Amino acid sequence: MTILKIEQVSRTFPARHGNAPTRALEPTDLTIGNNDFVTILGPSGCGKSTLLRIVAGLDRPTGGRVTLDGREVTGPGADRGMVFQSYTLFPWLTVRENIAFGLRERGVSEQDRNKIADAFIRQVGLSGFENHWPKQLSGGMQQRTAIARALANDPKILLLDEPFGALDNQTRALMQEMLLGIWERDQKTVLFVTHDIEEAIFLGSRVVVMSARPGRIKAEINVDLPHPRSYKIKTTPEFVQLKERLVEEIRTEALKVAEHA
Amino acid sequence: MAFGLTFFVLFVALWSWATFGGHVSKTFLANPLTMVQEGYDLLAKQGFLFDIGMTIWRVVGGFALAAIIAVPLGVLMGAYKPVEAFLEPFVSFARYLPASAFIPLLILWAGIGELQKLLVIFIGSVFQVILMVAVTVGATRRDLVEAAYTLGAKDRGIIRRVLLPSSAPEIAEILRLVLGWAWTYVIVAELIGSSSGIGHMITDSQALLNTGQIIFGIIVIGLIGLVSDFLFKAFNAWLFPWKLA
Repeated sequence: MTILKIEQVSRTFPARHGNAPTRALEPTDLTIGNNDFVTILGPSGCGKSTLLRIVAGLDRPTGGRVTLDGREVTGPGADRGMVFQSYTLFPWLTVRENIAFGLRERGVSEQDRNKIADAFIRQVGLSGFENHWPKQLSGGMQQRTAIARALANDPKILLLDEPFGALDNQTRALMQEMLLGIWERDQKTVLFVTHDIEEAIFLGSRVVVMSARPGRIKAEINVDLPHPRSYKIKTTPEFVQLKERLVEEIRTEALKVAEHA
Repeated sequence: MAFGLTFFVLFVALWSWATFGGHVSKTFLANPLTMVQEGYDLLAKQGFLFDIGMTIWRVVGGFALAAIIAVPLGVLMGAYKPVEAFLEPFVSFARYLPASAFIPLLILWAGIGELQKLLVIFIGSVFQVILMVAVTVGATRRDLVEAAYTLGAKDRGIIRRVLLPSSAPEIAEILRLVLGWAWTYVIVAELIGSSSGIGHMITDSQALLNTGQIIFGIIVIGLIGLVSDFLFKAFNAWLFPWKLA
C-alpha cells in the first residue's frame, strides 16, 4: 500500500547576485509503500536533501506535490519525523526530555511521556543517560537520541538526512545495525538520504540513485538481501555485486559534478 | 585571583605615593587614610547607608521596570519579522538618545521625586535591552527551530519551548551587562535635583571640597557593582546548568 507519493516535484532556487536561477531538483516522481525502507543515494549537490526537506515540509516545491496518506503536504508536522545530519538535540533539555519533546507538544501527560521516552531510551541503548544533557554525549549517542526523539512521536514516516554522516566508521556501522534492527522489529516507513553506497545497500529495501545537476532520479534498484541483515552481509557476493553496480552509477555522476565545478 | 589582586595593591601604592609624598595637593586628592576615615564618618555619623540603600533601590527598580517591558518586546521582535520591521527603526534611533539629556525634561514631567530617578534608568536601559534581546532571539539556531516543527510544535510552542530557553542564558548576560550601565545613569540622575543617594552625597562633598568622601562614594559604587555582577553570574550558572555541563 502506498503511503507517500511524490508527484512531479521540482525545486528551483531563485536567481541571486545576477546568477541564473539554480535548478536543484528536476520534476521527480517517487512512490513509497507502507513499511518500505527506501534509501536515496547520490553525490553531494544532487538535490537529495532538498527532496527530503520538501517531504518534511521544511521547503516548498516550485512545482508538483507530495501527498502522505492521500493528504497533501503543506508544512512540517508530527506525522513526518526527521533526523538531521547536524546535531539538533535541544541543549537545554535532558535526553529524556528531548525524546519526550513531541509528546509534550501534543499535550501528553508527564507520566505517560516519561514512560514512552524510557521505552525508546532502552531501545536505542541509552539506559543510564536519561538525565544527561546533549553536551555530555558523544556524537553517536546524540544521533541515537535524535532517532528516538523522532520515533517517540510515532510518525507515519521517518525521514533521515545523512544522520550518520558526521560519525566515525565504527560508530556509523553500529548505528546502521541499530536502525535496521528497529525497522526489522517495529516495521516503519523510512526514507533515508545518504551518499554512502554501502550504507544505502545495507539499510535499504530499495535504493533510489539520483543524478547531479540538475537533480533527478536516475535509477531505482531493489535490494533483495534477506532480513534480518547483520554486518556480515557486507562481504557476501550479492552485496558486492550490487555495490559494484552502484559505484558505476555514482561515479559517472560524481565526474559530472567535478567537471562543472 | 592573587594575580588580579596585585593590581589593586599597585594602584593603592601609586595613590599613596602621590598623596603622602606630597606630589598632589590635598585639595584635589585625599590620601587613602583620609578616605577611609571619611568613609567611616559617612557610615557611622551621616547615615550614608541610607543613601546606598536609596541608590540600590533606584537602580534595581528602574532596571526591573525596563527588563519587564524590554524582554518580551525583544523576544517578539526576534521571533516575528513584521514586529521587527515595525519597531526596529524607532528603537535603534531611541537607543542613541542619551538618558542623561532627558533629566531636565523628566524633572519637568515627573518632578524631582523617585519616579524621575526610575525613569532615567528606565530610558537608559530599555532600548538597549530590546535591541540586544531581539538580536539574540533572531539568531536562534535555525535547525533547532526546524527540528521542533517536525516534532509537531506550532508557533506558540516554538517561542515558549525553543526560542525562549535557547536564548535565556544570553538574555541573562544582556541583563547583567545593562545593569552595569544602569549604575552610571543612577549617579547622573542623583547629581541633579536629589536629596539622597550616593550621587547626592558626591555633589554635597564637592561643595565642601571633601575629596575623601567623593572617592569613598566612587569606591562603594565599584564594590556594589562587583558584588551584583558576581551574584548575577552565580545566579545564571545556577539557572542554566546545561550551558556549563
